Amino acid sequence: MSQSEPVAPWKRAVRSPQNLVSGLVLIAAAIVVVLMLGNLAQGTLRVIGPAMVPRWTAIAIGIGGAVLVVLSFIEDGDALERWHLRGPAFVLAGIVLFAATIREPGFIVAAPLAMLVAGFGSREVRPRELIVFALAMTVACALLFRFALNQPIPMLVLPSFSINV
Amino acid sequence: MELLQNLGHGFGIALSPTNILLCFAGCMLGTLIGVLPGIGPIATIAILLPLTFGLDPTAALIMLAGIYYGAQYGGSTASILLNIPGESSAVVTAIDGHEMARQGRAGIALGISAIGSFVAGTIATLVIAALAAPLAGIALIFGPAEYFALMLMGLAFAVLLARGSVLKAVVMILVGVLLSTVGPDLTTGQLRLTFGATWLADGIEIALLGMGLFGIAEVFRSLEHGEARQVRETHIGRLLPGPEELRASARPILRGTLLGSILGILPGNGAVLAPYASYTLEKKLARDPRRFGRGAIEGVAGPESANNAGAQTSFIPLLTLGIPPNAVMALMVGAMTIHGIVPGPQIMTKMPDLFWGLIASMWIGNLMLLVINLPAVGLWVKLLKVPYRLMFVGIVIFCCIGVYSINNEPADILIMGALAVFGYGLTKFGFEPAPLTLGFVLGRMMEENLRQALMISRGNPMTFVERPIAAVLILIAFAMLTVAVLPAIRKGRDEVFSE
Repeated sequence: MSQSEPVAPWKRAVRSPQNLVSGLVLIAAAIVVVLMLGNLAQGTLRVIGPAMVPRWTAIAIGIGGAVLVVLSFIEDGDALERWHLRGPAFVLAGIVLFAATIREPGFIVAAPLAMLVAGFGSREVRPRELIVFALAMTVACALLFRFALNQPIPMLVLPSFSINV
Repeated sequence: MELLQNLGHGFGIALSPTNILLCFAGCMLGTLIGVLPGIGPIATIAILLPLTFGLDPTAALIMLAGIYYGAQYGGSTASILLNIPGESSAVVTAIDGHEMARQGRAGIALGISAIGSFVAGTIATLVIAALAAPLAGIALIFGPAEYFALMLMGLAFAVLLARGSVLKAVVMILVGVLLSTVGPDLTTGQLRLTFGATWLADGIEIALLGMGLFGIAEVFRSLEHGEARQVRETHIGRLLPGPEELRASARPILRGTLLGSILGILPGNGAVLAPYASYTLEKKLARDPRRFGRGAIEGVAGPESANNAGAQTSFIPLLTLGIPPNAVMALMVGAMTIHGIVPGPQIMTKMPDLFWGLIASMWIGNLMLLVINLPAVGLWVKLLKVPYRLMFVGIVIFCCIGVYSINNEPADILIMGALAVFGYGLTKFGFEPAPLTLGFVLGRMMEENLRQALMISRGNPMTFVERPIAAVLILIAFAMLTVAVLPAIRKGRDEVFSE
């Protein structure tokens, strides 16, 4: 690029943005954990309370984060990587739908629904092929888990029609 | 000979028709999932774990062991044919293995890797059988202080062997320990870090962690690439190596087995070093080291044997001490817990059927890989042709079903989703999820042992120094951490992994 944007001085001082951000996240997480443990007893060395191990682990993580932050100004490191959102977004949507529908109306609805949504996480998705695959997988998984392996997965639960398989 | 008697007893258990069938099914399914590009043994076991829920504990563990070997073998297949290693230990195989495949000798590479793995598996089975009893004896004289120190040493070793930044590996272990404290406190039952949510009140299941961090998160990563990974037509060629090739491989196989068996026993994922160590050794010993990297059969035979021997002997710390040495074994702990088994020295005496049956089935599993899976390699190649746009959908639904069947709790599926996002984020920031998994499993045990040790010593932390075994173990742990941060060693370590 011939015309680069002017860079703020503090940005130039950061030699490893990846370490800076991860360090800051770790510190923040450590603080949240320590605050959450506020109402639990730490106990003594002889009788260790519920808060001791998680609290000191969190503090150690916070220190680790601080070291990362310092290092990010001293050592050259990697730039921030790009997050690709399409895959995670559709797959997560599929997972959430599965969780929401597995108990009622049950697997026969939850599985194809989740697969049809998750499938769009790929840029190369071919809807017709996906539908066939999702239906075939639903039948195969139902046979495998429910009937071959005897897992108590609800297949079809429709209380208003008093169906419970 | 008590050893032979015990092994005989084990074979009696493992050779029952059901168990043979399950071992076979495990090997096939493990290969089936393990061969998929980018899916290593950890993800494979996590994904297939639910298949074993309905079985009795012995049968379930036999099947899981089969899945484990199948996954290893599937990983090698993917490395050789596609140059896409599913995990770090398969990276070495890819160097010369894939080169052989490009020269039209894919079949030979797969064949020698299966033969080497079988030899390694046979010897490692004997090593386990021979060492298990004495080691379990040692475990019985260990008190909480010694256990704590041993686990600390294991974690220090894991840091030493982790890839990338030492600091980040330490942080990952700590995050794992922290995650393990979510849920009820061991003695008081008070809830910790649950955000007041009832579905976190039992803590996080290890299988959930595995499926989230290794299963779904890997899907996220792979979706970035699209279909770029399409398989080209690969010529397999003949599978059985000729006498010349067998002669060239015999010694590397035995040396690799020896290296792998020793490294695998170490707590803290020594097995991961085995293929690298074997490759380096073979290259040093070779008359013409330049052949390495250009399709040298020794470069496949040695590391594959070392890998399999290490994969198998890493069961030793788990079965005798109850301490999982790596992330795969951590998942095995999870699987055992689901079936109500507490891993440790008492398994051998209290559940001899399970213990010796499992060990015998390890050998049977290796045999199956050789005589059934190897000829089926064409099938795996066909499977690799299933486009990823459909494959990942199958992985996602398998993980969903798997998580749901652990507790029949839909909220668990959401936790898995959250862990997947977390795992995806970790790789974006250069953190590895494997040390986290190990920290997660060891964290719980360490807290318990720390508390007991300090209660026994009446709150005196000097107990870890005054008890000689504990002191030595802690000393080793600190020595390893020091070594890990020494610049010279760090450089060497990076070279080993980048080679």
